[in-house]
Amino acid sequence: MPARISNGGSPSARPRIGGVNVGLVIGAPVEQELPIIQIRNCLLVSIQTELHDRLALDLQDSLMARVRTVNARGVILDVSAVEVIDSYITRILNDIGKSVRFMGAECFIVGIRPAVAMTLIEMGVELDSVHTALNLDLALERLELL
Amino acid sequence: MKTVEKEVGAILAGTISSITQRSIFNRLGGLATTPIQQLTPGDRATVLSELENSVRLFARSNSTQLIASIAKALTADGSGTQGMASGGGSAVTALPAPRKLPIEQEKDIATARLEAWSEAVRIGLSKFASVKVATAVSELARNIIFYAGNGTVELRSLKDDRGVIGLQIIATDQGPGIPSSKLDEIWAGTYKSQRGMGKGLVAVKKLVDDFHLDSRLDPGTTVTCVFRGER
Repeated sequence: MPARISNGGSPSARPRIGGVNVGLVIGAPVEQELPIIQIRNCLLVSIQTELHDRLALDLQDSLMARVRTVNARGVILDVSAVEVIDSYITRILNDIGKSVRFMGAECFIVGIRPAVAMTLIEMGVELDSVHTALNLDLALERLELL
Repeated sequence: MKTVEKEVGAILAGTISSITQRSIFNRLGGLATTPIQQLTPGDRATVLSELENSVRLFARSNSTQLIASIAKALTADGSGTQGMASGGGSAVTALPAPRKLPIEQEKDIATARLEAWSEAVRIGLSKFASVKVATAVSELARNIIFYAGNGTVELRSLKDDRGVIGLQIIATDQGPGIPSSKLDEIWAGTYKSQRGMGKGLVAVKKLVDDFHLDSRLDPGTTVTCVFRGER
């Protein structure tokens, strides 16, 4: 087993702290980063905090890096605690979905609240680059089938 | 001195996160740091009805019990329990004063959205409408940060002569304004934004009951919109 994996020059895959290649170091402590949990070959992020813009962008970066290092087949974002999703956050979720798909994995958003769903419909924004599932269990089930 | 903030904070600890608590106490203004003994009966009723709404909104469980403990703490000096009598439907009789929120950095977007949400719930808009209010404020505040750098979002509670409540949102900035050619693109849905979806303003227009945009290039942009409750 190689102790280090080359990041292939992708800037988003490089860690933000220090100059060392930390391809196999999991969960490097960056301030206020959302924890990414690995279940088998899926990555799970439970968004429990107010999803402000910086955090969402950091999440996109570190997810991309992790998808590559662990050969993830799926990425699941649990947004059941998020009360408000506006068009900007929708775009970030779509972008994450697209880039995950480019890498050969699939992205699931789970636990969208009823009021959030209704608001997104009324605003006319689409969440079309990700899959959605009612909860984590169903998302895992569907990832097994893909 | 036992202040409102200190006493109530002790009761809410563990049930409502400290960030949410801070936002709740901010809404009380000077009353939050007033010693409990110095509250007039009127103040007490205001504080209690405000806290009651917040606790019902944010506490995950046994909100009734929490409200009872708060009521008890606020009347701990034995000056009677007239604060309790006002509970129930009468909370909306006095309209809260307009609130002006500065939007200067990215984290102010999240604050504004939370404030708008609790204001909407407080004046009696439905839960669903309150999420719409918060979403619209989030879009407007984000536009301010993206395109103007800084500005303000003002929340005004309204009540028309038929007693229908509403919330007016006024987002103002002194930024570069929106050229009319760009506005045409925005309304046509063909505008592509570098950072977002380019749909923020369209989304707000679809969410609200009244929408007015004033953008001359010189004095920046003002968006005024109104949410109305059900009749």
